[in-house]
Amino acid sequence: MSTLLHSYTPPSVSLRLRPRPSRCLRPLRFQVGRMGNSVVRAQAATEVTEAATSEGLKKGIAEFYDESSGVWESVWGDHMHHGFYEPDTAASLSDHRPAQIRMIEEALSFAGVSDDPMKKPKTIVDVGCGIGGSSRYLAKKYGAQCRGITLSPIQAQRAQELAAAEGLADKVSFQVADALQQPFPDGEFDLVWSMESGEHMPDKMKFVSELARVAAPGATIIIVTWCHRDLSPSEDSLKPDEIALLNKICDAYYLPAWCSASDYVNIAKSLSLENIKTADWSDNVAPFWPAVIRSAFTWQGFTSLLRSGWKTIRGALVMPLMIEGYKKNLIKFAVITCTKPN
Amino acid sequence: MRLLTHNMLSCNIKGVTNGFPLKLEADKWVTKEVDLNADFLRGIFPKIEWSALLAAARVLGFAELPEQADASMLSSDDFLRRFHHALLELHVEEGALVCPETGRKFPINKGIPNMLLHEDEV
Repeated sequence: MSTLLHSYTPPSVSLRLRPRPSRCLRPLRFQVGRMGNSVVRAQAATEVTEAATSEGLKKGIAEFYDESSGVWESVWGDHMHHGFYEPDTAASLSDHRPAQIRMIEEALSFAGVSDDPMKKPKTIVDVGCGIGGSSRYLAKKYGAQCRGITLSPIQAQRAQELAAAEGLADKVSFQVADALQQPFPDGEFDLVWSMESGEHMPDKMKFVSELARVAAPGATIIIVTWCHRDLSPSEDSLKPDEIALLNKICDAYYLPAWCSASDYVNIAKSLSLENIKTADWSDNVAPFWPAVIRSAFTWQGFTSLLRSGWKTIRGALVMPLMIEGYKKNLIKFAVITCTKPN
Repeated sequence: MRLLTHNMLSCNIKGVTNGFPLKLEADKWVTKEVDLNADFLRGIFPKIEWSALLAAARVLGFAELPEQADASMLSSDDFLRRFHHALLELHVEEGALVCPETGRKFPINKGIPNMLLHEDEV
């Protein structure tokens, strides 16, 4: 097991990530004063700069997860998201899987999704489904039909295998698809679920628009995602050192520009979504990255990493930067929920 | 890919006004038996686009669905069995889904449809 103690010091690996025109760019400020106009201007700027790289980004994301999913699963299991912990508690290894389950339950509870047989969701979409952990959990919990989409063919395959193994093949199915062009007709789902996939979306407006489009009237939309801190009224952007830190993380995890939780709220408002709520759960996920780092140094974790590829290893090496980002109150773990009007 | 999933997929290429239903081409398909759940079938029936299910089932050689269906048929065990078989027991392993407007093919490999659009389709 791990030889690291709780006080983690980052390894002194002098890995300089080559500075290059990064997909991460300057984090965008969405200003939705009057409905739509400012957002359209911000989006036009995004489109010009992102168009050249969005195919590359999608390919990078797919390859990253094709390469890394097996490693993650062998050490952490089938949920590829943060655990939810009580603030200021130290978590032992056996706490993490229940914490990941709790994250799902806390998100459902925050959004007010009903357990009542008449009101519970019957059709669910899992946007950025990974290897289907949430899909299978939600399908079981509600007895619902769940469709998962991911850019990674290997993840989709694995997700389907796990569903079959759990006897859920008749309830869940997985497709390789783009969250920005969901392959579903309008209004298809009672519950629209995005658990830690929003950070991969290069066009946040399009991302939320698609979530809203496939949501049925009255449906609940739940987004749990990494954001940067809200900007204060006097700020136009993050500070240079903050941007530099995020850029390094972006490169390793195939992330486009970050936005804040307020940006998501403003986008939801601009789409006339209702009951918009948000919360900062950064304190509740604090034990997570140190735990992931520790797991990388277990025998199983380390050998799995060595057998994986450069993308996975680079992702692992950048983990201390995530901790740095959280400690600086730059990176936030946010939940944003809302409903589609009836 | 079961026909239940096929019934929920559509083509969202830019400019396409009617991307549903996708035509089914099947090179390899299998039957996997699963327990019939009448309540589930009755519950899902209103969401099913019947003509799409009918056409897709025919591609897979199953011609025993009625041309049209309405909720009154759900009280017939015989109808439920045929509905169940078409919806849940036929699995397309290899093939393609074809956009009705553009003819663009989305491949199905190992039972998983790939619905990613190309850069110029967005």
